[in-house]
Amino acid sequence: MEYAITADNLVKKYGDLTAVRGVSFKVKKGEIFAFLGPNGAGKTTTIHMLVTLLKPTSGKATVAGHDVVKEPDKVRKKIGIVFQDPSLDRELTAYENMYIHGKIYGLSGDKLKKRIMEMLKFVELEEFKDRQVKFFSGGMQRRLEIARALIHEPEVLFLDEPTIGLDPQTRAHIWEYIKRMKEEHEMTIFLTTHYMDEAEQLADRIAIIDHGKIIAEGTSEELKKLVGNDVIYIRIANGKEGIKCLNADFIRGCKVLPDGRVRLEVVNAAEALPKLFELAQQNGIKILEVTYHRPTLNDVFLYLTGRELREESASGFDMAKIAVRRRYMR
Amino acid sequence: MKAFTTMAYRQIKRFFRARSRVIGMFVNPLMWLIFFGLGWSKVFNFPMASALFGGVDYLSFLAPGITAMTIFNASFIAGISVIWDKQFGFLKEILVAPASRKEAITGRIFGDSIMAVLQGLIILLLTFTIASSLKFSGVLPMILIGFLLAVAFSSFGVSLALRMTSMEGFQMIMSFLMLPLMFLSGAFYPVETMPTWMQYLAYINPLTYAVDAARHVLVNAPATTATASIPGMPTVSLTRFSLTTDIGVLSMLALAFLVVAMISFERATIE
Ligand SMILES: Nc1ncnc2c1ncn2[C@@H]1O[C@H](COP(=O)(O)OP(=O)(O)OP(=O)(O)O)[C@@H](O)[C@H]1O
Ligand SMILES: [Mg+2]
Repeated sequence: MEYAITADNLVKKYGDLTAVRGVSFKVKKGEIFAFLGPNGAGKTTTIHMLVTLLKPTSGKATVAGHDVVKEPDKVRKKIGIVFQDPSLDRELTAYENMYIHGKIYGLSGDKLKKRIMEMLKFVELEEFKDRQVKFFSGGMQRRLEIARALIHEPEVLFLDEPTIGLDPQTRAHIWEYIKRMKEEHEMTIFLTTHYMDEAEQLADRIAIIDHGKIIAEGTSEELKKLVGNDVIYIRIANGKEGIKCLNADFIRGCKVLPDGRVRLEVVNAAEALPKLFELAQQNGIKILEVTYHRPTLNDVFLYLTGRELREESASGFDMAKIAVRRRYMR
Repeated sequence: MKAFTTMAYRQIKRFFRARSRVIGMFVNPLMWLIFFGLGWSKVFNFPMASALFGGVDYLSFLAPGITAMTIFNASFIAGISVIWDKQFGFLKEILVAPASRKEAITGRIFGDSIMAVLQGLIILLLTFTIASSLKFSGVLPMILIGFLLAVAFSSFGVSLALRMTSMEGFQMIMSFLMLPLMFLSGAFYPVETMPTWMQYLAYINPLTYAVDAARHVLVNAPATTATASIPGMPTVSLTRFSLTTDIGVLSMLALAFLVVAMISFERATIE
């Protein structure tokens, strides 16, 4: 099996801070591979090492068959990247941005023009081609960046948080493009995200990364099997004893969440719920609200780290980042 | 060549997009020329005054200096677009491209230099209307001199900007250097009559050689040089160095700064 990306014990230190602490993984050709992790996990740092913009402190990586440190030029020819932060020339039009990219990557003439129009059409921006990028919305800029990364037909495409800060409709659109790229061009795609639905929707395989280390890797089904159990969330009335965990032999795990809900792991929620009500009644606990579901990637993350991956926990940070993007957009 | 021409194209395109910036660039030199130039030209209006300025009227003495100064300002400040590109992320797009970085940065510097020379030329053509002893045949050689000057200072600006993260920082350094370099260049008054210590500083100022060369090519030297007959009044020559020296020094500086810019860009990372 030939691999599009291999990373072997990659480490990156910024002074005293170790952002990436020994990351190893392999991505097969034609596969969509996702790095799922919270803010500051080391996702962007890893991408920057893979695309030759940062030198690893130690470790080795190859992309499209070339070593990222020893043969950066060969790697650069074969990759496309959409950075987490905007990277367009805002004074220029969409077409000019595409044109400059194409020229620098060695295309020219009618071939370049055709490619530009094809790609603009692919992301549904052809009617805005002569508008300056500074008048584009965040979603339009993102789509243009994706189109730009595709002009030179890269073998491996890197997408660093492709839908961060975008509305649900635009996100769905971008997911559609990503799926089509894989299907129609058999492109290898490496993407990072902290949205579990994004990883689940798009990725063939997912690596969960936290504090610079991969803590689990596999298909989303494989990862969910790590938790195994169903998950029940209950909200209980705050009685004399406060909110506490419940104990019974059918409860495999229990945790009081910061928002006051109690999270229970059980083998089968459908069978456990009646028992749970009974138990509550016996103990004089009043249940106000119940939800239950099959384990999600968030549950996997919680199971592995004891913390939540969920957007809630990151939203403050997200908003700050969105604010930054907005500021640039003015 | 693709990275060179593409980056030059981009810089020129961007320049014309920002119309307010284009107009802003002319305000400064025009202020010097009109308020400073016309103001002093009335002071130096007495018969012997031309002896102070190599035998020509003050405006003709000043005009080549203002042209050089315009090119110097415009090319130096162009470096700030590198910081702009860092902040708006476009720099990453260039750094990750499979193109020669030396070519890319040289293209950028040449693009900026062409625009700086163009601005200088426009100012020069305006000075023809108020200065009496300028010759049109000097315009073409002035383009070459201006280009060398522009390459030197846009390379300097780019190298500086690559080491900085904030525009404010760059602007501070620029305003710190701008006035001394201008005053020590002999653009406003002759180097010859400066205090000795100032003359030494003028000799290590690249702009001095550009101003001197500009006078060589642009000013109609009078057939008979006026000598001062007032006691204590000095007679000053129009130029200080030979044109060969001027162009030699400028070429060397342009090349040296360009190499520094290439090396800086080659080593640039996003850390
Ligand atoms: N240039 C830098 N200098 C110093 N520390 C840095 C630098 N870039 C990133 N870091 C630190 O390295 C760690 C990993 O950052 P990185 O940007 O790779 O995380 P991430 O997973 O991409 O997070 P996010 O979801 O916020 O984008 C963080 O603690 C961050 O503060
Ligand atoms: Mg990131």
